[in-house]
Amino acid sequence: MKRHLIGVIAAGLTVTLGLTGCSKGSSSGGGGDNKTIRFVAAIYDDKTKSLWDSLIKTFEAQNKGYKVNLEMVDWTQMDAKVKTYVQTKQTPDILNYNAFADFARDGLLFPTSDVLSSQVSGDILPSFVEGDKYKGTQYGMPLLSSVRLFFYNKDVFKKAGIAAPPKTWDEVKADAQKIKSSDKGVAPLGLPLGAEESQAEFFMWAMNNGGGYVDPSGNWTIDSPANVDTLNYLKGLTKAGLTQPNPETSDRKDVFNQFAQGKVGMLNGAVFMPAGFINKVNDKLPYGIAPLPTKAGGTPSTLGVQDFLAAFKNDGGKKKDAVSKFLNFFYQTNNVANFQKEEGFLPVTKSAGAVISGAVPYDKPFVDALPNAKFYPTGNAAWGPLANTVKEKVGTGITASDPKSVLTELQQTAQKNG
Amino acid sequence: MNQRSKAGRGGRPVQAGRGKRMILAAVGYLVAFIFVAPYLEMALTALKPDRELTKSPTTFLPKHWDFGNFVNVWKAAPIWSNMQVSLIVAGVSTLVALVVSLPAAYYTARNRFRGRGAFLLLVLVTQMFAPTALVIGVYREMVALNLTDTLLALILVNAAFNLPFCIWILHGYFASIPKELEEAAYLDGAGKVTALTRVTLPLSLPGLVTAVIYTFIGAWNEYVVALTITSSPNRQPLTVAIPGFVTSYQQHWQYLFATSLIAIIPVVILFIFIERYLIGGLTAGGVK
Amino acid sequence: MHDTVEARGAGVKAPAPPPSALRRFGRALAPLPWIGPAIILIAAVVLWPVVEMARTSLLRISSSGATIGTRGTGNYKDLFDETDLVSVLLRTVVWVVGVVLVTVVVSLALGQLLNARFPGRRIVRWAVVVPWAASVLMTALTWKWMLNNYYGVVNKILQGIGVIDHPVNWLSHPTQALMWMMWVAVFVSLPFTSFVILAGLQTIPQDVYEAARVDGAGQARTYFRITLPLLRPSLLVAAIINVINVFNSFPIIYAMTGGGPGSKTDTSTTFMYKLAFIGSGDVGESAAMAVVNFGLILILVLLYLRAVGWGREA
Repeated sequence: MKRHLIGVIAAGLTVTLGLTGCSKGSSSGGGGDNKTIRFVAAIYDDKTKSLWDSLIKTFEAQNKGYKVNLEMVDWTQMDAKVKTYVQTKQTPDILNYNAFADFARDGLLFPTSDVLSSQVSGDILPSFVEGDKYKGTQYGMPLLSSVRLFFYNKDVFKKAGIAAPPKTWDEVKADAQKIKSSDKGVAPLGLPLGAEESQAEFFMWAMNNGGGYVDPSGNWTIDSPANVDTLNYLKGLTKAGLTQPNPETSDRKDVFNQFAQGKVGMLNGAVFMPAGFINKVNDKLPYGIAPLPTKAGGTPSTLGVQDFLAAFKNDGGKKKDAVSKFLNFFYQTNNVANFQKEEGFLPVTKSAGAVISGAVPYDKPFVDALPNAKFYPTGNAAWGPLANTVKEKVGTGITASDPKSVLTELQQTAQKNG
Repeated sequence: MNQRSKAGRGGRPVQAGRGKRMILAAVGYLVAFIFVAPYLEMALTALKPDRELTKSPTTFLPKHWDFGNFVNVWKAAPIWSNMQVSLIVAGVSTLVALVVSLPAAYYTARNRFRGRGAFLLLVLVTQMFAPTALVIGVYREMVALNLTDTLLALILVNAAFNLPFCIWILHGYFASIPKELEEAAYLDGAGKVTALTRVTLPLSLPGLVTAVIYTFIGAWNEYVVALTITSSPNRQPLTVAIPGFVTSYQQHWQYLFATSLIAIIPVVILFIFIERYLIGGLTAGGVK
Repeated sequence: MHDTVEARGAGVKAPAPPPSALRRFGRALAPLPWIGPAIILIAAVVLWPVVEMARTSLLRISSSGATIGTRGTGNYKDLFDETDLVSVLLRTVVWVVGVVLVTVVVSLALGQLLNARFPGRRIVRWAVVVPWAASVLMTALTWKWMLNNYYGVVNKILQGIGVIDHPVNWLSHPTQALMWMMWVAVFVSLPFTSFVILAGLQTIPQDVYEAARVDGAGQARTYFRITLPLLRPSLLVAAIINVINVFNSFPIIYAMTGGGPGSKTDTSTTFMYKLAFIGSGDVGESAAMAVVNFGLILILVLLYLRAVGWGREA
């Protein structure tokens, strides 16, 4: 009797395991079908998922038999997820990320010439193409671009008696102090140095002090005296209470939200701030846009960011055809233009640019700044790992007793992975 | 010598006087409240609609009781599929762990053999390894075996890592059951296996139950390995799916908590059935 | 007769010539069907990763997981050069010792409470079990929610009773965050530990207390001289399981602060994970950290074995 019970249990186990145990999940197994691809996309704001969903729906309707499995990941989890997928060999077929060069270095990607039609390849704006290349071959495809400029709340400024947005760092400090004394409920300067995007925030200040991540020849200069000076300046602002509490753990989205609610006086904003953050809270917010403040006056620099699509060569590249179809579909003028317009980003293709520009006067200062914008050194294979480390650590530089040590550590990380 | 377990109602002498008992009861209820409070907060938050979640300062009770959250959550994410994964992985891991540990514990308790000491030492040493600490090795192994994103991988990991505890506890229990009882069964004509199942197992039920609940809970709540080696939604257990409700842009804490509460239910059901055995089981195993 | 006679139940064995080599081999193999599956499962799923990690700690792994070559002890050097390592290790000691001590002490009290007779005891026992049944991750997320700067009830309550006068962002300050996380770790460890103590208390026979009372021993004396020593086995079990679990604890810190800012609330386990998956992603260095962690916990377990006198196992 008991023996039969054991037998039944054993049989049940075998059946269960046989049915489900060894089979891979829907996303990675895909039923061995080369027409189903897996796309991991980043969440930029509340709308992103629905935009992709409707694009995919149209694609699947126009291309019978092809299927796209979408996975949305938000930026605070993206780094860990991508690393995990890569190391456990569960990479998606298409990835939306902010780096690609280290994957290209390890031979994991299709060169864009393999998956994009020549028409699409020729349509990409030249400003981006350089940043899409690794050792001369293009692997990254620009998904969207953003340019950063200085945003300020006109009402807060008026109340504090500030006539014009600050042009120099000293003016920033002085204006912040004016705001602090005129309105206790407002954080004078929004400074998001938390792990979401501190690599951008830091870069925006550093580049306007003659610093940055690399020098013109492409060598890493993270612990340069200019950068140390920048960190010390930011540390000083924090200590004087001129920022929101705890910048080192404040994520960009929270600070952007606070600005939208009128609780932050000024900050480094992005072209997509109205579409993604301001309009849904208060579309009448009286904000103004100005160039980024520089240390001592002089020509301001701007940060240009491009996020990429990268196509992974999984399983010997079986899915090249499906990947190619979807990518070419996305880069059709109206599709890509609509995506970028809805999200508030700047166009990355010539044809989309022709459709969008002129339609949105707000974009003009950003579009004008684009040709002179500085980008991250994305063609360097060490950038991916470095960016992640910067995100984690640079914020601690404003609470550390010796900010230089934080930068030195980052410099070492860069050199180790180069 | 192994200390015999006495699952009797021993302990301190009965409290004399109602006063003392009332004080104890009051303290007891306070303690109970403290333990349950966070989950109450979970439940109350799960009943709040979106806009109330971001109110600052917050309120204890929802202004608008949104029971719909518990229903909507099943549509908001493939919770049912995650629940199935959790149930299968936890259930089968427990079965496997039991089926493997029972004979091992029994034989080791009853027989002296060469390598017995080494085996017990192996069991004790592997107990200190947690899946989290070994996650890199585990995923590299699963990649090599091409078992990433499968249920089998999760089952093997959970069964193997809980195996030492099961062997430890069962060993202690078996060792404390006098051999004479089994030998009496042999005299009656029973075979070795029959003696095991008819005589020994029923007596060691508390130990068995402890092993079951410990393994089930361990597998049910395992996070890091599941997070690392699965990528498809239909291979991810609840532990992996639930944090996904709170991303930077959509903070659906109410769904997160609603799902967490739903996830507790199977464990609670298991507990209700086996609670009285649990206390007995925790005695014999650890006492050497 | 050459063969050994094994009469069932009779237990009488006739003296036999020494068994042949084949027989001895056969007998040595006898345990295999019983312990074999266990050994295979452990070897395949627990030991293989251990070996793999030790091996990986000597390799150079690229950020995309490709093995580039050997590094000898290079990963270890990188690890010991990490500026955060010393503070992480110290914090780990504080974490483990603090949490286990508090858990054990409180569990002793809780065990007594759960053992006492009062109406509604069953309900209290069930309530105490709840944190064990709920996953640690979910409990950590709940506490993270409650500690939120803007929407958390903890700030609301503390402000209400006047302890603080404006909301505190608890999890942003490393020291406060660590204390709160240690409380959560204690919270989730109390159920299991209390029940182990409770079980231990229930094995103490009434007569022992009777004898003590007859001898005129007061409550405190009885507790310290009699109850505690008799609880020693349970205490040791609870202690070692807690030390291992708390040392390996991951979801609490990862979910509540992510070990941040930087590595200011990391313990050795979260630090090891972050080395592989966050930041520059150096799997080799992370494996080296894992090996160091093994060493630490091996020392702890060996100390425990000595305390328990394992070698004298009957």
